[in-house]
Amino acid sequence: MTLSKDQLLQRYEDMVLIRRFEEEVEKYSKKGTIPGFIHLGIGQEATQAGIAASLKETDYKFPDHRGHGIILLSSHPEDRKRVMAEIFGKRTGLNGGRGGSMHVNDLKVRDMGNNAIQGSTVVTALGTAFASVYNHTDDVTAISMGDGTLGEGTCHESMNMAATWKLPILYCLINNHYAISTRYTETHPQSQLAEWAQGYCVPGEVVDGNDIEAVIEATGRAVQRAREGGGPTLLEYMTYRWQGHFSGDPAAYRPAGELESWKEKDPIKRAREKLMDAHGVAESEIQAVHDRVDAEVESYVQFSLESPDPDPAYATAHVYADIEVEGR
Amino acid sequence: MSRTITFSKALNEALHQEMERDEKVFVIGEDVAKMGGDFGITSGIWVKWPDRAFDTALSEAAIVGLSCGAAVCGLRPVAELMFADFIGVCYDQIVNNAAKLCYMYEGKASAQMVVRAVTGGGIRCAYHHSQCVEPWLMNVPGLVVVAPATPYEAKGLLVSSIRSNNPVVFLEHKGLYNQKGEVPEELYSLPLYQANVERSGKDLTIVAAMTMVNFARRAAEELAKEGVECEIINPRTLFPLDKETIVSSVAKTGRLVIVQEGPKFMGYGAEIGSLVSEDVFEYLKAPVKRVTSLGTPIPFAPVLEDEVLPHYDDVLKACREAMAF
Repeated sequence: MTLSKDQLLQRYEDMVLIRRFEEEVEKYSKKGTIPGFIHLGIGQEATQAGIAASLKETDYKFPDHRGHGIILLSSHPEDRKRVMAEIFGKRTGLNGGRGGSMHVNDLKVRDMGNNAIQGSTVVTALGTAFASVYNHTDDVTAISMGDGTLGEGTCHESMNMAATWKLPILYCLINNHYAISTRYTETHPQSQLAEWAQGYCVPGEVVDGNDIEAVIEATGRAVQRAREGGGPTLLEYMTYRWQGHFSGDPAAYRPAGELESWKEKDPIKRAREKLMDAHGVAESEIQAVHDRVDAEVESYVQFSLESPDPDPAYATAHVYADIEVEGR
Repeated sequence: MSRTITFSKALNEALHQEMERDEKVFVIGEDVAKMGGDFGITSGIWVKWPDRAFDTALSEAAIVGLSCGAAVCGLRPVAELMFADFIGVCYDQIVNNAAKLCYMYEGKASAQMVVRAVTGGGIRCAYHHSQCVEPWLMNVPGLVVVAPATPYEAKGLLVSSIRSNNPVVFLEHKGLYNQKGEVPEELYSLPLYQANVERSGKDLTIVAAMTMVNFARRAAEELAKEGVECEIINPRTLFPLDKETIVSSVAKTGRLVIVQEGPKFMGYGAEIGSLVSEDVFEYLKAPVKRVTSLGTPIPFAPVLEDEVLPHYDDVLKACREAMAF
């Protein structure tokens, strides 16, 4: 599949937005301004931008814990600064600062929230897909997961049920090679995890996760299949995270030279080369994208820094749908 | 119009009437559709609504997880866990998912679902089919734990649990399934979070749930012969607990006996004892007493299981000691 010049340029801007966003998150996490753990998606932008671009607003999205990018691109442009503010734990955050990096959600665009327990939302995703069938809508559900997630028993329960009932689910397995420090080849017998789908009579496909066009092509096919009642697909996007598992992890477990070889396959660099070589996009046009994104992300940071902390009393709101719990 | 039916039939009727009333209600679980459930609680639903009753693989995490996702989309799942002990294999979905969704979505959506779970001992099925799991669930903000004691409560509380916008773990004590009682034919609901004063008395408060309410009633009859007037409080919703009804009863009687199936340590009896001590210490005329199971897994042989489960004689003994203190 080849994207038009304008389409590719748009996806390029999406990827640059994710990277700049993550770089700022990393910076403020290291400073201690952002509390808690942060899992960055730098290096994996093509998977996130490609998945987000393949879905419509009413499709259900379950991003993974490294999924700031899908959250960001799924949200309305005016809400993007609120994604950042949520990660900062601020009152103006998308969820009032109650979820933070690992629980950002936005129901109006059916971002159902990411999750800090591997494999947990793999079965929740059955329910949104089930609801689409029950309510006779064509909305699909896309669940993002890592290579580590596949070790969880819920993946078996979920894929077995989705395959049997032909539920409209995309299992978007973003294989960045490591579950924290452990390579997937040390914990799974398959050389490619997409093979795992065969046991469930589900199509499994290995995708170059650093090629935005390949991601969009494969994801789009799986979306169409699910929308038409063809059931689930397991997509294994091969990619690599440039950072450690969390911001601050030196990732000493990776062999020398591995990171460098993956940086050569940088999805942003590859898209830029395609734009310039195949579509004749000028350097100045590329620079304009970067300038625009820099200013945009800077505005998110400023908004987050200037936003007030949550009202402490908000901690006790919405524990139950109908009754209050005791405050201090 | 009321008539006498079993606890099981009352549950079945609640499901039929709620399915009829609201097409967003569906049932899901192992053997709940064609077979009508291993205990017959979902009997006849699949026949009437083949598109709203779902037999699944043995996949409790998927059953509860699917229910969470479907509930957030506005459906009202009623999931069945054949035995409450199986919560062990879907605990993540109940505790980390269902219980958190309302908080996570700031009230814009929630896990408006019921997980029906068959609980308690007495059927000689040993430690994987007989546990009382309430304490596993009652330290998890966001969950509701409902425990009916009579057919009337079974129907009314199941209806209100289905209509609740919170995740409800609805505990059905298997020892009650064949118990009969008066149940209105028409659809009705009973309020959640509200204890029921089963019997009024001025001398001693007995708090008991599910089958233990029967022990409490028998004991109250017996003690009445000795001139002791017992007040029996049945929480109906174990969590969040109706503290006020319990505390004001103890403020009146000054004596409290909690009868609880399940181990004593960290059981809900411990919490009730604590809150009474915190709120109405000055009214207490005797130490709070607890009658519970022994702190063991539930054994198989009848003589062993009977040894472990609460003894009726111990209820009488505890009440008499409280009176004599």
